[in-house]
Amino acid sequence: MLLALLLCYGGFTALCLSMDRHHAELLGRKQSARRRQLIKLAGWLLLASSLWAAVASTGWGLGLVQWCAVLMLSALLLVLLLPYRPRLALSLAGVSLLVSPVALFVQS
Amino acid sequence: MKEGFRQAMAWLHTWAGLIFGWLLFAIFLTGTLAYFKDEISHWMQPEIPARSVTSEASLTVAQHYLQQHAAGASRWLIDLPDAREPGLSVRWQQTPTKRGERGQFTEKLLDPQTGAEVQGRETTGGEFFYRFHFQLQMPYPWGRWLSTIAAMVMFVALISGIITHKKIFKDFFTFRPRKGQRSWLDGHNAVGVLVLPFHLMITYSSLVIFMSMVMPASILASYNGDVRAFFDDVFPQSATPELSGKPATLAPMAPLLDRAREQWSGGNVGRLTVNNPGDANASVVLVRDSADRVVHDFGSAVTFNGVTGQLLGSTPAQSLPRAIAGSFYGLHMGRFADPVLRWLYFICGLAGTAMIGTGLVIWLGKRQLKHVKSGVMPFELRLVEVLNIASMSGLMIAVAAFFWANRVLPVAMAGRADWEVNSFFIVWGLSVLHAMFRRGRAAWVEQLALAALLFGAVPLLNAVTTPYHLGMTLARGDWAMAGFDLTCLGSGVFFAWAAWKMQRAGQVETVARQRVQPIGLEQEAR
Repeated sequence: MLLALLLCYGGFTALCLSMDRHHAELLGRKQSARRRQLIKLAGWLLLASSLWAAVASTGWGLGLVQWCAVLMLSALLLVLLLPYRPRLALSLAGVSLLVSPVALFVQS
Repeated sequence: MKEGFRQAMAWLHTWAGLIFGWLLFAIFLTGTLAYFKDEISHWMQPEIPARSVTSEASLTVAQHYLQQHAAGASRWLIDLPDAREPGLSVRWQQTPTKRGERGQFTEKLLDPQTGAEVQGRETTGGEFFYRFHFQLQMPYPWGRWLSTIAAMVMFVALISGIITHKKIFKDFFTFRPRKGQRSWLDGHNAVGVLVLPFHLMITYSSLVIFMSMVMPASILASYNGDVRAFFDDVFPQSATPELSGKPATLAPMAPLLDRAREQWSGGNVGRLTVNNPGDANASVVLVRDSADRVVHDFGSAVTFNGVTGQLLGSTPAQSLPRAIAGSFYGLHMGRFADPVLRWLYFICGLAGTAMIGTGLVIWLGKRQLKHVKSGVMPFELRLVEVLNIASMSGLMIAVAAFFWANRVLPVAMAGRADWEVNSFFIVWGLSVLHAMFRRGRAAWVEQLALAALLFGAVPLLNAVTTPYHLGMTLARGDWAMAGFDLTCLGSGVFFAWAAWKMQRAGQVETVARQRVQPIGLEQEAR
């Protein structure tokens, strides 16, 4: 479940950054169309892989429930952090992506 | 989409949300608390010790006790303890004196380690929130009907809310604090959209759970109006073997647990029923623990002969429609959830409660703006304000009062469990009175501060009135007990913060009004 959570949070942060308004707010500059596409793709891929991580560890029944739970929790956490601690929100995403290989190793 | 349609949906969302909002807030909050009903019960009955013993050991203890105290009973029921419910509960039914009558039940709680009887203080515990969540403390079946109607309105409000919300994806990550009405709407949208899968699941599944009550037409048509025949078909009773009349000793039941687990490829036993113990035709029914799987199976069981240990039968595998209904039931109850997932359920429930609460605040805030200058509110707005305050902060105080009553009322008091419930409703009623006699903001601040005080002091109260204080429960690893104290402390801090915020927002408002007034006077002077 930890791996799914980490990937989900990273994925949502990427999707958030792929939106021009949030990108400008968080990073203070505009992004090229190509870069936007790339970030968006990465975000969706991360969400899909978090689904895989949840289902692979506990099977479809419980896995889907856990995935929905981490999906909601990570989005809620991100949206609550963004206005108050934007730097923390971004660095959490970085850390979670860095830690995810370790979580994968522990899970498998 | 046509604007007219969206406006119609906005109207529906506004009014459906307002009329049922107060009730839905209470239903959501108590339902959220019910996710921890076993933990709450554990805190409210601290006399029952939490032991870590295997199911085999507790079953042996129960069998030993029952053979000594209830050898002549016609039926034994044994509820095995698990990680969440520490008590080993045994019940037995006397052989009825006349045929066709129901024998009397006796219930005892045992310490699964020593086998001694445990007397917990009289309380409804977490069961109160669970029952209130769908029965609303009303006589059967009115409470169920009202809560089901509320669920339907909730569903309508959710769907109309999704249609009304124009920029679900564009504003997906948007929350702008410190902007007054804007922030409330952002917050309402954020908890609504981000936790939408939970909201839809919980609302739809509540309708599925009561489907035979809400939409009985298909049952009535297929069974010619005989509802009981339908339930007999859906929940077949296991046939109890007739008394043989020959006495025989019951074999030790603990080994049966392993054989049941084999049948279910690794499931756990939650309850055992022993029919005709002490007879040669004794049968043991082992019912699967509902915490085993996401898909709830209504009474999956295996039956053995109690003397020879021969397998007598097992319930057939679930059919697809029953599995679908069972999965909605299982998802709603969340009994399968491990502690982490249970906390996520709890957070989602709180998000749902917050969504309803913010919605109510927005409704009033929008309409109050017109009357800021005059400072006089029309009756209907004042009514909404009073109901808002009492249904939100008042309910919080009532919940705290329920916990306080559990510790403050004397243990030996007659009708103690009822008085706990009474104090909940008395305090809730008082909060309505208080909200009526105080100005809106002052009432909010005072009630939130009182809630903060009551919740924050719960760990202290627990330490003073019982030996199970935080230092001890944490050291012993009794996480249910310690978690309850810590959660109350956390809620206390949250309410204190909310009260402080409310107070400060009020001061800003008065300063702003004072600044406006001189200009108004100057203009008048000219």
